[in-house]
Amino acid sequence: MIRTHKQEKKQFEKLFKKGNIDSFEDRFKVLEAFLQTEKHLTSAELTQILNDSGHNLDNEFVRDTLKLMCNFGFALKNRFDNGMVRYEHLHLGQHHDHMICIKCKKIVEFEEDAIENLQVNIASKHGFHLLQHKMELYGICSECLKERERLMPLSMAKQGERLVIREIMGGSGARMRLLSMGIRPEDEIEVVTNFSKGQVVIAVQSSRYVIGQGLAQKIIVEHV
Amino acid sequence: MSEKKTLTIALAGNPNSGKTTIFNNITGTRQKVGNWPGVTVEKKEGLINKFGYELKIVDLPGTYSLTPFSIEEIVARNFVLEESPDVIIDIIDSSNLERSLYLATQLREIDSKVLFALNMADLASSHGTKIDAEKLSNLLDVPVVFTVGNKNEGMDILLKEAIKLAESSPDKSENRNVKYSRDIENAITKIQGLIERKAKDRINYKTRWTAIKLLEDDKIVKERFVEKAGAAGEEILEETGVLRKYLLNAFDEDPEIVMTDDRYGFIAGIIKEVQTITVKQRVDVSRNIDLVLTNRFIGFPIFIFFIWAMFQLTFTLGAYPMDWIESGVSLISSYAGSIVPESLFKDLLINGIIGGVGSVIVFLPNILILFFCIALLEDTGYMARAAFIMDKIMHLIGLHGKSFIPMLMGFGCNVPAIMATRTLESEKDRILTILITPFMSCSAKLPVYIVLAGTFFAAKAGNVIFSLYLLGIILSIISGRLFRSTLLKGIDAPFVMELPPYRVPMLRSLMIHMWDRSKMFLKRMGGVILVGSVIVWSLSAFPRNVDYSADYSAEMDRANESFNIKIAAADEKGKELLKNERIVAIAEIEKAMNAVKTEKSYMGRIGKGVSPVFEPLGIDWRGSVSLLTGFFAKEIVVSTLGVLYSTEGPGDKDALKNALRSSGMTPLSALSMMVFVLLYLPCLATIAMIRKETASFKWTAFSIIYSTSVAWIASFCVFQGGKLLGFS
Repeated sequence: MIRTHKQEKKQFEKLFKKGNIDSFEDRFKVLEAFLQTEKHLTSAELTQILNDSGHNLDNEFVRDTLKLMCNFGFALKNRFDNGMVRYEHLHLGQHHDHMICIKCKKIVEFEEDAIENLQVNIASKHGFHLLQHKMELYGICSECLKERERLMPLSMAKQGERLVIREIMGGSGARMRLLSMGIRPEDEIEVVTNFSKGQVVIAVQSSRYVIGQGLAQKIIVEHV
Repeated sequence: MSEKKTLTIALAGNPNSGKTTIFNNITGTRQKVGNWPGVTVEKKEGLINKFGYELKIVDLPGTYSLTPFSIEEIVARNFVLEESPDVIIDIIDSSNLERSLYLATQLREIDSKVLFALNMADLASSHGTKIDAEKLSNLLDVPVVFTVGNKNEGMDILLKEAIKLAESSPDKSENRNVKYSRDIENAITKIQGLIERKAKDRINYKTRWTAIKLLEDDKIVKERFVEKAGAAGEEILEETGVLRKYLLNAFDEDPEIVMTDDRYGFIAGIIKEVQTITVKQRVDVSRNIDLVLTNRFIGFPIFIFFIWAMFQLTFTLGAYPMDWIESGVSLISSYAGSIVPESLFKDLLINGIIGGVGSVIVFLPNILILFFCIALLEDTGYMARAAFIMDKIMHLIGLHGKSFIPMLMGFGCNVPAIMATRTLESEKDRILTILITPFMSCSAKLPVYIVLAGTFFAAKAGNVIFSLYLLGIILSIISGRLFRSTLLKGIDAPFVMELPPYRVPMLRSLMIHMWDRSKMFLKRMGGVILVGSVIVWSLSAFPRNVDYSADYSAEMDRANESFNIKIAAADEKGKELLKNERIVAIAEIEKAMNAVKTEKSYMGRIGKGVSPVFEPLGIDWRGSVSLLTGFFAKEIVVSTLGVLYSTEGPGDKDALKNALRSSGMTPLSALSMMVFVLLYLPCLATIAMIRKETASFKWTAFSIIYSTSVAWIASFCVFQGGKLLGFS
């Protein structure tokens, strides 16, 4: 966190000085206070925080600074439901990219220097000054994947495995046939024989069935 | 006694529920095996008199549901719907209550009078599953009777209950039926209402049932519905389509699947009430046997061993009774010869009828044993495993292992084999199997091999015959592949088959099975083979007045005279010797005369007429004519050879062998002839069965032409190829 702030401070200084911004020290105090909280703040709230820590800055100055920060891309202005304008800070420079699991919505943070450098290079090639970026990779997290890997077609099962049928896919004719013969989702089955790419023999309770390879691919099972 | 009331009782149930055993128990030997109209599914009926009624028991094919997937299920459903039996006895397999009830709930929906036979409950309870029959009876409003099929227990009570139910007033209660999800019930009610308003008088099924089936998109019911209800039917179908689409969106699932789930839900509720399971884990013997017999490594060798053993048993064990029958036939023949005065009739009786039928009936033991073995494989439950084991090989042809069962039966007789294709669900698979099954060398062809291979290959006869069987199998695989990739392109239909539990077979059922099939053979004896033999005899016996090129009777007189002079001059010992010589000499002349006679007979003329076709195959006119007569039945090939080579008396194998050897036939031409017999057109009975089973003249004609062309080409290759290689 401290390292991050040092980076941001450096950038802040560079940008503000370039833009001939006045009262740099005071504005920097606003920045510091703003960066120290991870909350969404209104300008009034931030002023209060600054006053509490002994910096006597008025609300207007704080708001202006926040607006400046928004212009430079350090902060983001948000209008929430109750109409209050709140600011949140955007991390610049050192930051985390995110991987978001579409199944469980879990967010995984990661840092990759190669990607960061590549972005800077691409930006500079276009004469573009990079302030910030947002990288979100959508996918399935390892845990969800594990969950999914447990599901497999019956044709992949090995002899002697005990499985539960999770789903039967395919046309309604084939499914009805299986259902009426007593092979149904949630049934516990045991694989008696499974030749490679041949028919599969399964035991469901006291009955045994031969299932063709094609159909076995459509029966989705999971280990007990 | 004519006052007796006739009741029709249908036996329904899942495959392997013990239905056939119960049927056998009730009807015993008073069974009539026929075909269901229009299809060749075996229809078993038995008429018995009991408790003052005449009971017609109909054994329906085993079915899992009333949603038809195979011909058998369509047949079963049609019977229930169209013939409305007085009572349906639903055989419930106690060890698989859930699935049995799935069929049962559907039978209840049809609104026929249903009676449950809770079968094998003793076995189930020893496995820890107890069923409260009374509760089950109350919950579904169905009488329930305990039966033990393989111990013949409970049959009388079952019939009594069935009669009682038949005589009771029809029950109107619908509240014991499956209740579907609300949306589905609404749709059913809507369709039902439409049917009742617009087409009620034209539909003879229950409206609710019809509505359910329409909603399930049942193709057969839909077709029939439109047929009967006409324009109103189309309209209702359209409305049903809209409802189906709505339900599809509402459940995100086909309505029939949702309804199946609902039925199982309903059943789960019943099972919770009536079934108590005390022991969860138990030793499943069948499963353990399957671990061995369907094992990926040893399953196949075991299977090959069983098949080998079956043929060994058939031919080695069958040899003894074969000898007895042979001597029996010649005994009858000589007895008839001694009492019937010399006449044309005597010739017909001895050479035509006794000779012809006799030369075929000797194979009865082989056929009995073979069918016994097949029945054994079926009744123990191994047949289904054989289908599984053969699956990979059958896939070379593009067929499922299940098609192997008819082909295996083809080794016995093609007629039941082609009938057995009815269990195949895909129409294309069925036709393909029917087309290649005749290449399986049937037992009727065996006599031909035995005679020809025995004569010309002596010690190697066994190997030659085995190679012929192998050739048949290989050609069936090649043909299968060919058809699959050209005429009968088919997608790989989803395949599922239940492996029945292993059971100790009941002798009674084995006997009934064996007898059912052998009866067909015996019927052929009295029918086609008898007629064929008489025709063959007449063709060879007529015309009576042959224009002999040489004067045989004068020759005979001359021989007689010269011997008489010699005998008069000889001493005592020489007299005896000369007398014998005289007999031989005269017999020689007679034989030559007969040979000319046969050659000049109608048969000879036909043979000469067709022989150009067979000449490139190394088959002479006698062989050609035998092959032609083989159309009636393959066995007749042998008896025709017997007639044409003028052998004495029936069953005189050595004489025929000698005649064949001296006729100029070579091992190569014998082999060529055997190959032809193996492959050429199926016999009359088989052709009739193919016609029936494919319901297509086109396929029947194709089968005949294809097999005969293949036979000619194969024989040509054997004979001409053999000649090129220097064999003779």
